Amino acid sequence: MDAVEKANADRQKRWAKDQKIGEGTYAVVYRGREVATGRKVAIKKIKVGQFKDGLDMSAIREVKYLREMKHQNVIELLDVFSSKTNLNLVLEFLDTDLEAVIKDRSLVFLPADIKAWIAMTFRGLEFCHRNWILHRDLKPNNLLISANGQLKLADFGLARDFADPGYKMTCQVITRWYRPVELLFGCRYYSTAVDIWSVGCIFAELMLRIPYLPGESDLDQIKTTFRALGTPTDEEWPGYTKLPDYVSVGQFPKTPLRDLFTAATPECLNLLSKCLIYDPKKRISAKDALYHPYFSAMPYPSHPSKLPKPAKKESNRPLEEVDGNVEFDGPGPAVRANPPNKLKRKLSDSELGGRPIARKLDFTAM
Amino acid sequence: MDQASNHSISRTTVYEGSTQYRHWRFSPEQLAETRASLNTAAVAAIREAFEADSPGSSSQVSFLNADEENLLVKLYIGKVPQLCGHLHFAEEVEATAITYLKRFYLKNTVMDWHPKNVMLTALFLATKTTNNPISLELYTSRIPKTAPSDVLDLEFLVAQSLGFDLAAWHAHRALWGLWLDMQNLPDVLIDDLRKAYDDGIAHVRASRLTDAELIYTPSQIALACFDLASPHLARAWIRSKQTSPPASPPVSEEDPMLAILKPIQIMITNQGQLPEVESVREVDRRLKLCKNPEKVVGSNAYNKRLEEKQRKADEKRKRKAELVRKAMAAGDPFGSELAEKGDLDDDDDDDD
Repeated sequence: MDAVEKANADRQKRWAKDQKIGEGTYAVVYRGREVATGRKVAIKKIKVGQFKDGLDMSAIREVKYLREMKHQNVIELLDVFSSKTNLNLVLEFLDTDLEAVIKDRSLVFLPADIKAWIAMTFRGLEFCHRNWILHRDLKPNNLLISANGQLKLADFGLARDFADPGYKMTCQVITRWYRPVELLFGCRYYSTAVDIWSVGCIFAELMLRIPYLPGESDLDQIKTTFRALGTPTDEEWPGYTKLPDYVSVGQFPKTPLRDLFTAATPECLNLLSKCLIYDPKKRISAKDALYHPYFSAMPYPSHPSKLPKPAKKESNRPLEEVDGNVEFDGPGPAVRANPPNKLKRKLSDSELGGRPIARKLDFTAM
Repeated sequence: MDQASNHSISRTTVYEGSTQYRHWRFSPEQLAETRASLNTAAVAAIREAFEADSPGSSSQVSFLNADEENLLVKLYIGKVPQLCGHLHFAEEVEATAITYLKRFYLKNTVMDWHPKNVMLTALFLATKTTNNPISLELYTSRIPKTAPSDVLDLEFLVAQSLGFDLAAWHAHRALWGLWLDMQNLPDVLIDDLRKAYDDGIAHVRASRLTDAELIYTPSQIALACFDLASPHLARAWIRSKQTSPPASPPVSEEDPMLAILKPIQIMITNQGQLPEVESVREVDRRLKLCKNPEKVVGSNAYNKRLEEKQRKADEKRKRKAELVRKAMAAGDPFGSELAEKGDLDDDDDDDD
């Protein structure tokens, strides 16, 4: 046996698969454990043999970036090994995700809880950005939560690195409801600010308990955003009408955030508004966000172990693979617990639309 | 990025957290040692394979030594820039492919895996890992005498040999940083600077033919190259980074910074050229005779190995069929309790 094969076989022996917990077109996820310690892990088996172009891009992205990052708020890739023509990613096992927490109507969130989740999100994101990595798919169900309450960024299947300005990138990234307007207008040169917008949307969603900007199409997403935050003026976002896919969707007035987020403190609304600034250059950075007065003001963030968690019951959610409203062709390699024996299923646009969104945020005076 | 300002957040720099720093940096002695022991082990294993194939046959075989292996790898490193020019690939792709190729042969021997296909595979993998993907069909159609399977068959082995450390940091990026930063030096003529940068990048490209990237950091290599191109500018820049500029004297030849650059420069000057084709041809000719028969399709040793694998797979399949049969007998036609047994192995792959 070759040295490389042997090393792989040794790695493989360190981990045991216990139970299939999710299955999709490209990957199967198992609950497993480290043989020596009994530590619970998630093993994501990606079927490689079926790709005519070899190792697929989202698997490559996930492995490439997670190998480089170790941080308490980023999911840890413990090992990678192959079995036959499969690529196995050994990831830390995480119980739930922020979407499940938000949707659990029996849970009550204190302002200090929201502060803790947002602080952990910014910590993880600051680390990614410090490592020159854009996540490009932040949303509540990619923020996984460990047994001790730590929030971790996961699913790096759409991530990429960035360096020089002026390097063209695809604008078909980020799940629509969390996508900033510059991407909706086809901007091909962008940076860390796209992830910050997503955090702003998640921040708002934590307070509202429903998605903040649930557009039904890309065009409607622009309208929904402008309806909520006002149509930007050329002064606040110079030159945006020149973006490649710019369309005029009408004039909407600005409404103070205070009108919708009635219970929020001034610091809280100040940080939220800085995440949702239209001009990407003026939007707050992850690092500056960590120094924002919101985090040092009372109440202090809840301790992770004290954060609300869904009761220990098996949810009926299938393993999400690809969001129907994002055009890319890889699986979303995030891993989370799912009940066993679920049918293979892919979320489609219509199913996403079927999420319980009771109302549009039609709160502006029209 | 200013690392000092990050002290409150992290104790190590981003570079120190990278897999390149943690897994792929060696001293020259470690490199020599790694290659020598790899070569010794390979020769022993292949000798055994020859003997298994036909007893007594290994005595006439002249195996390659570590230096000869390295020479052959270097020849194929030199082919990467040619191919990248032909295919219009970015410098990032080229540099990454070369890094992969070097790392691969710190884990494997050319007597098992000929560098030609490994080079083609490393390059294809690099297009994907640097986010410049092209279809495999297009890629191989533009390279003479290459089929998609030449690349696909090795891709997994290459990724595995790299330990799935796919991110690589390169000196040409650091040189670009120097070029940007030096524009802030007082009294710099931009034309001089541009000329120095152009010469510097040529040295960086030459450094890829050496072991420099396995020993030094990208920024060390970049500065060494800039200093080769323009000692005047490089030293003005070093001085600007040291204590308060007005008082600081010109950088002396004994400056510790220059002492780091010296061995890199010697390495680039002495080893940064392609090997002579004649000497490599001789190595390649001998490689045809000493390559591992287990890896030669159709040889006795290859077939034996294949049979062994087949036999093991059959055994596993039988074991699994037996388990399913028992489950059926126990009244559970889907055998779902298999999953509870806690010994799922990778033969749960019926689905692929």
